[in-house]
Amino acid sequence: MSEARRRASPYIVAALIVAADAYLCIKNPQDLDRLLINAMLALSAFATLHARLLSLASAGFAAIGAYASAILAVKLGLPVYLSIPAAALVCGLVALVIGLPVLRLKDVYLAICTLGFGEIVRVSIILLPGLTGGSTGANLSTGFAYEAMKKTKTWTLALALAFLCYLFWAASRSRAGRALRAIRENSEAAETMGIDVVAYKNMAFLASALIAGLAGAFYAHSVGSLDNGDFKFNRAVDILGYAVLGGSGAWFGPTLGAGFLTALPILLRDLLGSAIGFLKNFAQLPNILNGLALMLVIIFAPGGIAALFARAPVRGAFLSVPPPLAPAAGITDKVGVADKAGVAEAPARRAGAEGKPFLSLKGVSRSFGGVEALAQVSFDLEEGKIYGLIGPNGAGKTTLINLVSGLMPPSSGKIEWLGREIQGRRAHRIARSGIARSYQNIQLFGEMSALENVIVGRHTHMRSGLAAAWLRLPSQKREEAEAREEAMGLLSRLALGSIAGQEASKLSYGDQRRVEIARALAMRPRLLLLDEPAAGMNEIETAALGDFILELQGHGVTILVVEHHMDLIMKICDEIVVLNFGRKIAEGPPQAVARDEAVLEAYLGRA
Amino acid sequence: MDLSFFADPVFLVQNLVDGLSRGALYGVFAMGFTLIFGVLDILNLAHAATFMWCAFAGWFVMAAGGLPLPLGLAAAMLAGAAIALVLELLAFRPLRREGADKLSSMISSIGASLIMVSVAEAAFGVQTRRFPDKVLDPKPFFIGGSGGVRISRAQILILAASIVLMVGLGLFIRRTRMGKAIRAVAANQKAARLLGIDVNGVIVVTFLVAGALAGAAGILVALLTNNIVPGMGGQIELRGLAVVILGGMGNIEGAVVGGFLLGLVETLTIAYLPGGSDIKDAIAFLILFLILLVKPNGIMGRGKAERA
Repeated sequence: MSEARRRASPYIVAALIVAADAYLCIKNPQDLDRLLINAMLALSAFATLHARLLSLASAGFAAIGAYASAILAVKLGLPVYLSIPAAALVCGLVALVIGLPVLRLKDVYLAICTLGFGEIVRVSIILLPGLTGGSTGANLSTGFAYEAMKKTKTWTLALALAFLCYLFWAASRSRAGRALRAIRENSEAAETMGIDVVAYKNMAFLASALIAGLAGAFYAHSVGSLDNGDFKFNRAVDILGYAVLGGSGAWFGPTLGAGFLTALPILLRDLLGSAIGFLKNFAQLPNILNGLALMLVIIFAPGGIAALFARAPVRGAFLSVPPPLAPAAGITDKVGVADKAGVAEAPARRAGAEGKPFLSLKGVSRSFGGVEALAQVSFDLEEGKIYGLIGPNGAGKTTLINLVSGLMPPSSGKIEWLGREIQGRRAHRIARSGIARSYQNIQLFGEMSALENVIVGRHTHMRSGLAAAWLRLPSQKREEAEAREEAMGLLSRLALGSIAGQEASKLSYGDQRRVEIARALAMRPRLLLLDEPAAGMNEIETAALGDFILELQGHGVTILVVEHHMDLIMKICDEIVVLNFGRKIAEGPPQAVARDEAVLEAYLGRA
Repeated sequence: MDLSFFADPVFLVQNLVDGLSRGALYGVFAMGFTLIFGVLDILNLAHAATFMWCAFAGWFVMAAGGLPLPLGLAAAMLAGAAIALVLELLAFRPLRREGADKLSSMISSIGASLIMVSVAEAAFGVQTRRFPDKVLDPKPFFIGGSGGVRISRAQILILAASIVLMVGLGLFIRRTRMGKAIRAVAANQKAARLLGIDVNGVIVVTFLVAGALAGAAGILVALLTNNIVPGMGGQIELRGLAVVILGGMGNIEGAVVGGFLLGLVETLTIAYLPGGSDIKDAIAFLILFLILLVKPNGIMGRGKAERA
């Protein structure tokens, strides 16, 4: 396909969807309300999918919103346009009650919980006939007709949808939007960047509920009567279909997805109905199309329609081999923007724990099932030194880093950081207190650029919230620009300036490692945990990395480095801790450790 | 208000019998659910649609085809295995090949479920299908005379069949070579592959077994309620999920225990709680939410709820 056609194709798709919807609405003007409400519901599902959550609660929240606003408007006499946001708030409260316990667990629990939630809402509607009209007879369908109902105008609905789209658009360009993308790509790495993943997921779930409630309330006042069958489980799946087809990547996806799936069955019936007779009365057609859309999109085009609009990848990025580092230049690109972006301003905050050890492990153990990966390991770290953590494979080195960075709690023992016990604290809090890390198996946010990856590292040092992004305050823009500049500076220092705009997953292995280090440094840590930073690097690159680590030490950063390159360890470390089968077998300055009997035995075996 | 039934032992035993047979069905259904989750870490939300199609398959063989009960059972289980195989090949394997996340698999199975239920609605309509009396005599037995505890042939069949299936699955997983391979894949797919285990083959077997369990549950529920409709999966799906969580995700023994517990709690609530029958549909969700709040790993405490 030619470049021009590739660029034009998403716009053609969008235009076709708009044309189909225009046909729909001209034929039956009432369908415009339906279309807008579907788009709003899709936006509600998008809010959760965007945060990598599978929620089927949108239909249930829409039901609550619909009945709440109807009751407020009709039984309590609230003005209609006041009853709509009030109903959304009711949904928000319910979402907090459900979300707080469930979103701490694995994602699948939210899916299950929201499945049951829809059922509870349906049962509650039937059980409260005084308020909702309940059910008549066994078919569970009854009206909540209200004669006094004032209808809403279509333009208010359109305005509300446009406003919501604006909120999503503005948020997607902010610190919060970046954090959500990071969570979507790698929630564990996001957590160790100091992003409170659970809080963001709760926020996404809350937003989803508010929007669904709003859509439901508009539905009630658009149709003028309610039926508990309006929000049955199939509806939840419809909504998911809109959002998945639209794509979870961009704010305009849900509207396009809803536009397509709302129009498609009617279009098919009108266009092909005369040729294929049974289409005319094929009641299941919308559902079957929806199911097909869900499966086909998720298998063949997981980005949905929105992905068509995504920026074209840098041409040839797959093939370009990064130029080998010139030995003289080494890793630290000293000509670059360098020192302006002070790597380590953090030590200026050095305070508090005078006399107490910087980091102290006391009898730390961790077992997996019956296997003890770490057993009673104790040692102290002093501020400003470089520590090496070595040992044969399976000695428990990565486990130790995972414990210190909070990815898992120790089975027993204490970890004291700046005089406070931090074992069992969640990783994002530990990250905020000044501990950053890199990973043995690289954990970058693969679809974000190298630069964006590093900016995520600035998350905890930025202040702008959603409100600032929505109001497009100058302070927020300034902060974004500063973060960008600082991230650029860090990349330049690591000789990565030229690849800053490239997608992280497409970078070479060595570059990815260095982007990870830059990302960790963007957090301005006081303690940096490096898990095999030189893996996959050649001798020259390794030596340059060593110089860089020494330079970091010069800026006052304390470093704990896990490495198999013994040359590197011997050259840069002030102290070495040796683990074997989860136990500490030696500790001391490099020369002493190198002569240690137990260490020699662990590495070479006893002759 | 007459509350004497509280003290009536026959009433209590009657409810225990009903609750246990109901619970046995939940257990059989949930075993397939939890097996897939335990091995693949994904929720197959088309399990209930498979269940429904198998009830129809059994009905066609026995009511329309006039074949005897054992053949109907076998046909339902075969149909379940076949449907599950198709699901694995069309809805799950393509995603595994792409290395997609678990969320995508769930979404794919939701799509598959919607298609399966819609096609059933289009093909079978909304009218209820019933078994003729010759398939299973609807006259119940009475223990302790005509005023005693009533137990139907369907209930006896359910209890017997579910015990056979539960014990059979347990032996299969614990004692056979394939069972060992399934456990290995569940523990660590990558390691299993490195050890020379045919991971895709093991996953296919897992789906076949889970599908057969859905089939058994489908035909047994159909025999108990004698009410076969395209929407019948929705009723048991939420209960199955509640049972899976109650027993701990991926825990087969937990699903059995959880199934019996839910069956008993539902039946006893309806019997002894005023207004109980109104809330019976909500009980499963209330249990589910309470467990998530208090003990997310399930009552057997070996689930995998916490974040890794």
